[in-house]
Amino acid sequence: MGCMNSKSVRKFPAREDSLDLAAETAFTVNEVEALFVLFRSISNSIVNDGLLSKEEFQLAIFKNKKKDNIFANRIFDLFDVKKLGVVDFEDFVRSLNVFHPNASLKDKIAFSFRLYDLHNTGFIERPEVKEMLIALLFESDMKLADDVIETILDKTFVEADLKQDGKIDTEEWETFVKRNPSVLKIMTLPYLRDITISFPSFIFNSTNVERVDETSTRL
Amino acid sequence: MDRRTGSTRNILFNKYEIGKLLGQGNFAKVYHGRNLSTNESVAIKVIKKERLQQKERLVKQIKREVSVMSLVRHPHIVELKEVMANKAKIFLVVEYVKGAAASPTAILKPENLLLDENEDLKVSDFGLSALPDQRRSDGMLLTPCGTPAYVAPEVLKKKGYDGSKADIWSCGVILFALLSGYLPFQGENVMRIYSKSFRADYAFPEWISPGAKNLISNLLVVDPQKRYSIPDIMKDPWFQIGFMRPIAFSMKESAVEDNIDFSGDDVSNGSDDGNSSSSNNDDGELTGAKPARPSYNAFEIISSLSNGFDLRNLFETRKRSPSMFISKFSASAVMAKLEGVAKKLNFRVTGKKEFVVRMQGATEGRKGKLAMTVEVFEVAPEVAVVEFAKSAGDTLEYIKFCEDQVRPSLKDIVWSWQGDANCHQ
Repeated sequence: MGCMNSKSVRKFPAREDSLDLAAETAFTVNEVEALFVLFRSISNSIVNDGLLSKEEFQLAIFKNKKKDNIFANRIFDLFDVKKLGVVDFEDFVRSLNVFHPNASLKDKIAFSFRLYDLHNTGFIERPEVKEMLIALLFESDMKLADDVIETILDKTFVEADLKQDGKIDTEEWETFVKRNPSVLKIMTLPYLRDITISFPSFIFNSTNVERVDETSTRL
Repeated sequence: MDRRTGSTRNILFNKYEIGKLLGQGNFAKVYHGRNLSTNESVAIKVIKKERLQQKERLVKQIKREVSVMSLVRHPHIVELKEVMANKAKIFLVVEYVKGAAASPTAILKPENLLLDENEDLKVSDFGLSALPDQRRSDGMLLTPCGTPAYVAPEVLKKKGYDGSKADIWSCGVILFALLSGYLPFQGENVMRIYSKSFRADYAFPEWISPGAKNLISNLLVVDPQKRYSIPDIMKDPWFQIGFMRPIAFSMKESAVEDNIDFSGDDVSNGSDDGNSSSSNNDDGELTGAKPARPSYNAFEIISSLSNGFDLRNLFETRKRSPSMFISKFSASAVMAKLEGVAKKLNFRVTGKKEFVVRMQGATEGRKGKLAMTVEVFEVAPEVAVVEFAKSAGDTLEYIKFCEDQVRPSLKDIVWSWQGDANCHQ
């Protein structure tokens, strides 16, 4: 018979789930439902189990079965809130919420700090940043002399590491990104504002019933 | 309750106040609405799901309308702002065109051509308008699929057809109707209209000028291959009378230009005499280096150039215009090279500020002349990051121009284009 996957394929989110997620994020109920259309398409690309694996996430970002990528891995690890090696729909929505244009600057700063704190020490340390720079150069097929890399790191840490202790803490990071807002550019996805237009097929499955009033029934 | 009027306010999804009914058909009603947070007027198309059951064709049309309208951002096309739904209904929130009657069609016809308060034309309805209310006798010849009076013969024959050529036929019918006050192909039943359309059997009233007749005669040609194309129309003498090319609209695709003040810049309002202060020799050398821009720090390099941190790919299926590359030359050498390339590609420098350059093409595209802004950042003494942004013109033309012209011209100074890492395994 072979091994059957016991996990059931994820159905369209129940009304309560959508309402709860909408209540705790910047998304509306319909935007949550539109995100489910996106989630379903990327989370079923390799295994049809309604959960997003690291491989499926990388496939969605790179559009090909790319080898391990330190940056995509890092984003995935932060999306994987429950640390199960897979991301469920709720965590997907909550994580993407940070990238919403209406999400708070405080949340964006905190998430970006964790992004660069590769080893989860509570600090962004110079070796971590060097590791990422080298990985970036490698993925782009570029080589920079070590002294050039050190020069870039020196200039960065002179500005960011105000205590000059070789690492950047959350306070220093907040000061640094406020002075260099372009660092946070990746933390905002304008697409999330138009998500219902990008993934409109949710309209045929929506189970949402307005709780606030009965306007729609009169139309 | 509304305290001012004492009436109950109709609020939809805590976001829109519903106003008066603007129009209705068998499957859709259109209401005036107001966005509560921005106070902006919108039109809200309401479709009952129960009416769509067992009507797969209508479901497809709704999907098509949404997907077409979501792809298009243009000043002469009604903008789709949001899609909403609940258990019973679908709500399409679209731009409200003041002074326009809302008519739910799938084709170019006068009912879909709206004029706003500035007398700007707006094309509306992409698929849903094949939901006519046949109970209303408004003089239009309607079938369940809309009216054949505007549809090109090749479409009516249900053969494969070129959509743009079919639209040109529809434009011919509309132009005829606007100038004469009636439709060119009329008959007591649909088959009579079909047969007249298949033969392009129509007659002009005597008051239509020879120039207009000539243009319409070239639009209402049964053979799509012999029918005028858009460039043919643009060259037509009657069309050119009083024609003013619309100012190219710009969809800002990058924030490069946001904080740059070009007033009093190095190049006075676009007059490029080719003798700017830096020498434009093509080998990228520069006489007299300028101060470098604030350099990219390590985090800017990582966040800008790493594909793994770029979540835009989750949402995009279409190709994105290349917007950034790393160069193994100094920022000043890159600037010199950019100016040389601009000249070679027949682009003139219309603005320059230290390490930012704005340039514009000479030829008219679909939405005016292409223009782009380029900013150069120093990373290390011999490493620079270069950011591109389209500031005017057509996006597809810009992508093609970047691929076919810009990238090959810059290959000797480019180390790696952002996004190209996708190709490295």
